[in-house]
Amino acid sequence: MRGYEYYKPGTIEEAIRLMTSLEDAQYIAGGTDVLVLLRQKKIKPGHIISLRNIKDLAFIAHHNGLHIGSGTTHAEIERNEIIRRNYSALHDATSNLGSVQIRNVATIGGNICNAAPSADTACPLLVLDAGVTIAGLEGERKIPVDEFFLGPGKTVLRKGDILKEFVMPLFGPTTGSSYIKHTRRQAMDLPIIGVATRITISIGKNGGELRCRDILCTIEDVSNLLARFEDEELRCEDIRIAMGVVAPIPMRAKEAEAALKGKIISEKLFEEIGEIAANEAAPRDSVRGEAWYRREMIKVLVKRSILRSIDRIIRPDDMVYPERLW
Amino acid sequence: MDNFPVVGQRIPKRDAPQKVTGSAIYIQDLKIPGMLYGKILYSKYPHARILAIDTSRAEQLPGVKAVITGYNIPPFKFGFFKDNPPLKSGKVLSMRDEVAAVAATSPEIAEEALEMIQVEYEELPGIFDPIQAMQEGAPILHEGLKSNVLKLPWRLICGDVDTAKKESHCIVEDTFSTQWVTHCCLGTSGCVASFDINNNLTMYSNTQIPYLAQRDYIDALNVFGIKNRKVRVIQCIIGGGFGSKLDTYAYEYIAILLALKTRKPVKVLFTREEEFIATSPRQSTITKISHGCTKEGKLLFREMEMILDNGAYTSWGATTPSVMMMPISSLYKVPNVKYIAKCVYTNNTYSQAMRGYGNPQATFAIESSLDQLAEKMGMDSYELRLINANEPGEITPQNFKVTSCGMKECIEEVAKRIDWKGKRGKDKGRGVGMASLIHVGGGARVYKSDGCGTIIKIDDYGKVDVFTGASEIGQGSETVIAQIVAEVLGVNVEDVNVINNDTDVCPWDVGVHASRTTFVAGNSALGAAKKIKEQILEIASKSIGEAPEHLDIQKGLIFSTKDKEKNTPLGKVLRNAHYSTGGKMLMAEYFYDPANENFDKDFKGNLSVSYAYGTHGVEVEVDRDTGRVTILKYIAAHDVGRAINPMMLEGQIYGGGLMGIGYALSENMNFREGRLMNPNFLDYKMLTAKDVPPVEPVIVETNDKDGPFGAKGIGEPGLVPTAPAIANAIYDAVGIRIKDLPITPEKILKALKEKEKRGQSGEEGK
Repeated sequence: MRGYEYYKPGTIEEAIRLMTSLEDAQYIAGGTDVLVLLRQKKIKPGHIISLRNIKDLAFIAHHNGLHIGSGTTHAEIERNEIIRRNYSALHDATSNLGSVQIRNVATIGGNICNAAPSADTACPLLVLDAGVTIAGLEGERKIPVDEFFLGPGKTVLRKGDILKEFVMPLFGPTTGSSYIKHTRRQAMDLPIIGVATRITISIGKNGGELRCRDILCTIEDVSNLLARFEDEELRCEDIRIAMGVVAPIPMRAKEAEAALKGKIISEKLFEEIGEIAANEAAPRDSVRGEAWYRREMIKVLVKRSILRSIDRIIRPDDMVYPERLW
Repeated sequence: MDNFPVVGQRIPKRDAPQKVTGSAIYIQDLKIPGMLYGKILYSKYPHARILAIDTSRAEQLPGVKAVITGYNIPPFKFGFFKDNPPLKSGKVLSMRDEVAAVAATSPEIAEEALEMIQVEYEELPGIFDPIQAMQEGAPILHEGLKSNVLKLPWRLICGDVDTAKKESHCIVEDTFSTQWVTHCCLGTSGCVASFDINNNLTMYSNTQIPYLAQRDYIDALNVFGIKNRKVRVIQCIIGGGFGSKLDTYAYEYIAILLALKTRKPVKVLFTREEEFIATSPRQSTITKISHGCTKEGKLLFREMEMILDNGAYTSWGATTPSVMMMPISSLYKVPNVKYIAKCVYTNNTYSQAMRGYGNPQATFAIESSLDQLAEKMGMDSYELRLINANEPGEITPQNFKVTSCGMKECIEEVAKRIDWKGKRGKDKGRGVGMASLIHVGGGARVYKSDGCGTIIKIDDYGKVDVFTGASEIGQGSETVIAQIVAEVLGVNVEDVNVINNDTDVCPWDVGVHASRTTFVAGNSALGAAKKIKEQILEIASKSIGEAPEHLDIQKGLIFSTKDKEKNTPLGKVLRNAHYSTGGKMLMAEYFYDPANENFDKDFKGNLSVSYAYGTHGVEVEVDRDTGRVTILKYIAAHDVGRAINPMMLEGQIYGGGLMGIGYALSENMNFREGRLMNPNFLDYKMLTAKDVPPVEPVIVETNDKDGPFGAKGIGEPGLVPTAPAIANAIYDAVGIRIKDLPITPEKILKALKEKEKRGQSGEEGK
């Protein structure tokens, strides 16, 4: 590891000024990605600008939706009760990333700016319709997170730009979300694939009350469960599906979303959705997983994630979910 | 069995406070004044000719004190076959081949210098598959050899397998394979080589064989032109061994060479990546196995043929078939046995010892095949195991003399606790499986001596110093030895200090291997303690006025067993002996070498004084959609003779079990054309604390007649039967048998889909 100059600016403006004035500089937040790259000699910056001293970057605020500063750690997000309840997919992602030690320092902004196809928070942000605010030399601009990623390790950020915050809309009680990270280990692992979904539902029968809610607490077969949903006309009013490690960037399964939106849920439809999503993906063989397996897992996990999201709408106060396969 | 005040107690591991508070000194922490840092340049190709090496730019870098290559060092080779030079010239045979090394004033400068070394290679076609390596026309790795098959005739014949085959009522045959896995010691490898003014060498090392390493270093120094010098090996606290430090490595000789050249102490310390790439792991195997039995289920024969990937050079990995012979000949009663193994050179890494020493690979095939046999027989595999279980007093086909044996108890305990009858073959998606093990439990005569020496001295205040040859590598031997000595001497265990890390101070020991330390070093400590106790009682007899045979010691007090009022503190007796005319210091030494046998030329003989047994039972749930396996329950029953320290014993069982679960389900050194694709903990899936299933250790005590206080070894057994127990449970859960480790979700899902297809096309399937 060669030497480098280390800077710790106190404001966003100062950081941007430093970055634009230096030749080979690198921003660092939690450091859990940058330090690995440094050790592997994949980057050799002469200057490292830490963002940890900038207080304006670390916050969670609830006004007109959810605002999360890019310098907020995964641990802080994981512990936020409103996020756990109303933005559950993000809670799922932040509570299963790396290890406790990593979550205590790694930031959500770093996770997104690193732009790995496996970034755990990317899929949740995609399904939660997050917008990002970017601060640059010429002021601030806002874009949907959909448009942030360009390729592995590539984003729309220009030299000096700092991803400032994520903004997510409010969701009502008929909306639920989840993220499933498919891994080989329970900790310290990257997903073989990751799937997040957000669904808004309505119930056609029984005055909008779901009678079969107790079935969710049992280990009843999934096809029976879906048959009950269909009987009671559980309808998908709105849906987002996002997938990680299936393409160069985390992506939405928009065709699958279109096929489900407005429909009454059924086992047949679920099968179709899984197939469509799998066809939208372009997974590759890698050391971490084979393409065919990733494709199969999309089919399985899209279904499981939607079921888990529905479960969270129907039983929002149950802290402990039954040991079901989803 | 008797209860004792110290032996059998749950005494915390004595080095634990040091380790958890960060005050333990590892090789990583060691600094010697003037010390330089060595770094090694490895090959760029798995098989290539070195055309030229240019080190001139590196030599000019400020801070660089020496650069060496295979072209400017004395011709020296190390390893079991003496086929491995510390720095390569001519050809490189694997990606881990050392090509050049640098000593510099800082690790950063040394690393920078490595980047300045220009090596020109001519790439040669590589061989990465042992089966291809055996084919005619395959490139020969080592010049001067005619074949890539090692000249090691591993062949064990007991009884008459051909006749037994004809007499068998039922026969099964199949092929199983296992992967490369590595030890994952949390403390990476490293050493400091330091010469004094007279060219005597001190090696600060992580080794688990200080006295064999000492000999290796002496051999090397002789070749380097420094004859008749003294070599001292000092061990820092060692962060795990698991067999990885059972041989000397190129980096150690490189440190010696750099120290010689610079006249400064030189430290070579592995990074985590180097630890993955450049230490020697457990080799992959392919095993063809066949079992036959009578109508009643009595085993008649076991036949196995095995191919082992030796890798590019020969270390102890090539000798693991000798230990594989143990389960092959003697796990369950099987009268007729045939085993042939071939080790084959390839351009992969090279293999070495790892916990179990071949036993896990062999047991995976044996115990999987036994379940297949039971199924074909229409028998409960639990019954089949009980019918054939080993028993005390048995002499096995390989001439092992079984003394204590609790195998039946282990099998029964597992069946009871896992609810075998209630669960086997019942629940869809859930299943139970079991597998057993045999391992050496009373030393193993692999070398000419299997001995260990102990010296004990007691100071004027009754504090005891025990100098033992046995190394502490994290397994807890110093705690066990302290317990044994404290028990015999009747002192508090805190008053026993164990010194075990310096060849100048401690007597000889063959090394930490073969689960032998509690048994051999324990017996040695026991012998020394008894000797010194005799001396103490002899002296005390005069001052107390009681015959020595009527004296005993408890909690540091010497007393008459006839009249407890007649007593004297131990320290007082010792001081009186010391400060009287013609004074006396109390010391005793004892060398224990167990009465076990080297194998004869047919690989027969009583390898160990006693044998350890055990059975693991697993309940799994298989997710049919993802292929993922969850372990719901894990019972590990072990016949340990006697638990000297049940808490540490359980630690060995947990640790072994988890290592075994990793072996079964997730760990795999992913070599692609000789290049390790996952040299880090992210992609090498060693299991984490969150992956630990509920493991329930069951300690079966058989009080071995030769063990110290009845104890047998337990260091390795914990991981031996894990993989087949899990494979058998998966078969019970979803009816598919994975014969190739690790059992990944991909393999399970693929097999499930194939089974589904077969089911639809009307073919048979469970």
